[in-house]
Amino acid sequence: MHEATFMILTALADGSQHGYGIIGEVAEISGGRVALRAGTLYTALDRLRADGLVDVDREEIVDNRLRRYYRLTPEGGQRLAAEASRLQANAQAALSRLSPGGNPSLGVI
Amino acid sequence: MNEMTELERGYRRLVAFFPKSFRTENSEEIIAVLLATASPDQRRPGLTESLDLLAGAFRMHMGLSRAPRSVVTAVRLMCLGAVAELAVLITVLVTQGSIRAAAVARYPHYTAAATQAVGHDVTGDMVVLPILVLAWLWVAWGNGRGSQLARVAAIVFASLYTLVLVLELSEDVALVAPAAMIASSVAWALGVAAVVFILRPRSWPYYERPARDRAQDALV
Repeated sequence: MHEATFMILTALADGSQHGYGIIGEVAEISGGRVALRAGTLYTALDRLRADGLVDVDREEIVDNRLRRYYRLTPEGGQRLAAEASRLQANAQAALSRLSPGGNPSLGVI
Repeated sequence: MNEMTELERGYRRLVAFFPKSFRTENSEEIIAVLLATASPDQRRPGLTESLDLLAGAFRMHMGLSRAPRSVVTAVRLMCLGAVAELAVLITVLVTQGSIRAAAVARYPHYTAAATQAVGHDVTGDMVVLPILVLAWLWVAWGNGRGSQLARVAAIVFASLYTLVLVLELSEDVALVAPAAMIASSVAWALGVAAVVFILRPRSWPYYERPARDRAQDALV
């Protein structure tokens, strides 16, 4: 899974968000490291909707402009959980090998 | 109703590059997000966001937004193949004088025949190479959308290309510009690599989707 896709799914994990909200959430989750742009976001949302991982929750008109909210589908939630577990297992394996007990040459990290 | 700003007009021009049915559903929303993320004093779309939108539109047109990574890589290689073919065409046009001179030097007793032979080669290349560029782009577009026909065409295309390249290599090298031969070899390698990617197990399900699903993808 691409990092941008993972971040978008994570941004939707605790509730529906509109496009601008997703961009803000992703920036916050990544500590400002990932700056999603509109072209990337909407291409990814199109794919995620086609794959059944994300769906449109509702639409609103704010200041004469369309605001569409997206939500995670149950399948999207399962995929995100599986990917998060995989990343966690990988990170744990790396950290345990880097710890003083795992690799004496590295000392304390 | 608010008057449209120069910035919004700029964004609309960029969003116009997306496929029509995608625009119908999403353009107002994308414009709203672009305007919301713009800085207060921004008057025109920035370079990075313009490139991001154009790249997104390109991915949509090529069907890449929904393809597995192996197919995306294959399509990118095919697009690079089209660029390499264009490089062959430019090289042939730029070096035709020196090739003609080399042919005359090699066959001093058959100057007219050698010049004519090079002339025929160049004319042939000027006809065939633009067709090859279009062929590369067509197979890239078709494979991006998961068309079995385009997939088979890519395999046939790569096989024929291998045959033609072998024949070219066996020809009199004095009549072929080294740069054109290198560019041809690069195009061939890109084609073979692309075929490897579209034949990878991960790519198969994308081509085996029902025609109805592919038609639905083509609408967005």
